[in-house]
Amino acid sequence: MSKVKNLQVRANTIAPHRRGLSLVFPFLFVGLLIIARFLVPNKMTFLVEVATFSIYAMGNNILMGYMGYISFGQPFYLSSGAYTAALYLAYVGRNPLIAIALAIVTGLIIGGVFGTIFMRLKSSYFTLINAALCAMGLFMFQRLLIDVTRGDDGLWYRSRMLATPLLDIRFPKNFFFFVMAVLLVVLLLYRQLHRSALGNVFRTIQSNEEKIQFLGYNPFKIKVAGFTLATVMASFAGSLFAINFGFVNPNMGENSRAIEVVVATLLGGVGSLYGPLFGTLGFLGIKDIVSNFVSRWEFVVGIVTMLILFRFNEGIWGFFLNAGAWLKVRIDRGASAKKAR
Amino acid sequence: MDKWITAVLYGFSSGAILFLVSLALSIGYGLMRVVNMEAMLYYSFGAYATYVVVSQTGSFILGAIVAMAIGALLGLLVETQLLRRLYHRKMMFTMVATYSTFLVGIGIIQMVWGLQPKPVSSPTTAIITILGANIPLYRLLVIATAIVAYILIQTMLNKTIIGRAIQAGVENRDNVQALGININKIFTGTFVVASAFAGLGGALNAPLIMVGPYMGFDMLLLAFITVIVGGLGSIKGTALSAILIGQVISVGGTIWGPLAYVAPFIAMFIVILVKPTGLMGVKSAAY
Repeated sequence: MSKVKNLQVRANTIAPHRRGLSLVFPFLFVGLLIIARFLVPNKMTFLVEVATFSIYAMGNNILMGYMGYISFGQPFYLSSGAYTAALYLAYVGRNPLIAIALAIVTGLIIGGVFGTIFMRLKSSYFTLINAALCAMGLFMFQRLLIDVTRGDDGLWYRSRMLATPLLDIRFPKNFFFFVMAVLLVVLLLYRQLHRSALGNVFRTIQSNEEKIQFLGYNPFKIKVAGFTLATVMASFAGSLFAINFGFVNPNMGENSRAIEVVVATLLGGVGSLYGPLFGTLGFLGIKDIVSNFVSRWEFVVGIVTMLILFRFNEGIWGFFLNAGAWLKVRIDRGASAKKAR
Repeated sequence: MDKWITAVLYGFSSGAILFLVSLALSIGYGLMRVVNMEAMLYYSFGAYATYVVVSQTGSFILGAIVAMAIGALLGLLVETQLLRRLYHRKMMFTMVATYSTFLVGIGIIQMVWGLQPKPVSSPTTAIITILGANIPLYRLLVIATAIVAYILIQTMLNKTIIGRAIQAGVENRDNVQALGININKIFTGTFVVASAFAGLGGALNAPLIMVGPYMGFDMLLLAFITVIVGGLGSIKGTALSAILIGQVISVGGTIWGPLAYVAPFIAMFIVILVKPTGLMGVKSAAY
């Protein structure tokens, strides 16, 4: 735990010369994804999934990494975004961009309503009540609204989507570039949040909630804001999934999948700025490889999580930071040794 | 009229199973302050043990005993190997660790028994008529078992020296250790007993449902609802809310089918909104 704290302190007091790198990084990452798409053309769906899932994981990182509230109900917010987009496209309108906008609005409403209820609870209750909400949501999409959502058969609407101006995102090829652009914007905004006063207040929720009150903030409002942000990002990612696949089914909101985003966040490094990206890349990579061998892979996810928790606490981003610090110490030592000579 | 009597009695029997299963969660939280997500493994493995024993020997009682033994063994293993390492960690850490243990357990169940749900035949098919309603005798036996379990646990906690030591340990760990009592051993013992009851719950529930790898998931949510409604860490509260949730499921389902799934959640939301610590929860204990 203290390691995590160190990591956060390090992230806050990042040296000025490294800030430039941190600004370049989003462009670098997205650029690498685009290069990868042309190097390995048959992995394009995988890259789109990485981009979408990392938005989901970044939202979870605000909740889990910054504020220390872990939720086992994130799939519900993901699938409610997906179903908003899907229901709009299947019954009401035909424009995918409006579907995405509606999903974001749904995320805002759900986050606001449930945030004001859930954020009164202590963190252990919070986790459990989210899991319960997720189960209820699954039941709702699967059975209660079966006439509208068609239950387990899923909802298909690819043929109903209309062309969008500038970039026709109905085609996977174009959708890839659309998602990359979205990821870049989200990353830049996320970086801004990480360094802003709001980001600092989010982190203080975890370390010292009383202090926030001394500083004149209302911790409850901050918590609701953080929860809503996480919900909005989850349902935004859900709508992107929905448009990418052209269909949705309740499978997306299953309780057993709640651990996925948690593992991705942990793997990248809890509470770090670009951790969720690497976590998603690592997690989906492992999933991609493992799914070739076994169909149900709870066992593997469980083992991987335990390994991360007990042996690899700081995650991939933390590993990078440590390696960088180690290298810097080496270089400094070399330089001072030279001077002494 | 007899429809409602049946509904209420069925509610008591599902409440009885809920109580047995939630005990491990409730005790894990009350004593060790660990939210034990993998507690439902004892339940699942207990049910599968019953399935194996019943299909091999045909004796349900032997199956239930084996289920209890398996539950106790797993509880001992998990407590000494995993939970010991988690006591001083943050809540988030313990939750993720125990949840991943749960997933590993489900994976093992899938590897050994496959995805196909397995039926377990009921030990008695006798039917008793109460006030014009036909009730299977088996359900009444389930209720009786849970009552015996409740009395046993309460007597153990309130009347014996060990029980007093446990209660003192919940209040102040260090002082109890200063008196020369090995608190770790006592915690392990209590946890093993609770896990054995969870295994028994699995065995008792096996003839009522199909035994499948994901049975733990469904029960996990219900058990969590039970523990949250009752107040984390209170055994009396757990018993009370198990009855409440059982009734809500059964009576709600009789009124309108889908209500059986949704009603427990609604009950939980209402209780949480009115009293965030649960029915019997103490404010200081709910962190």
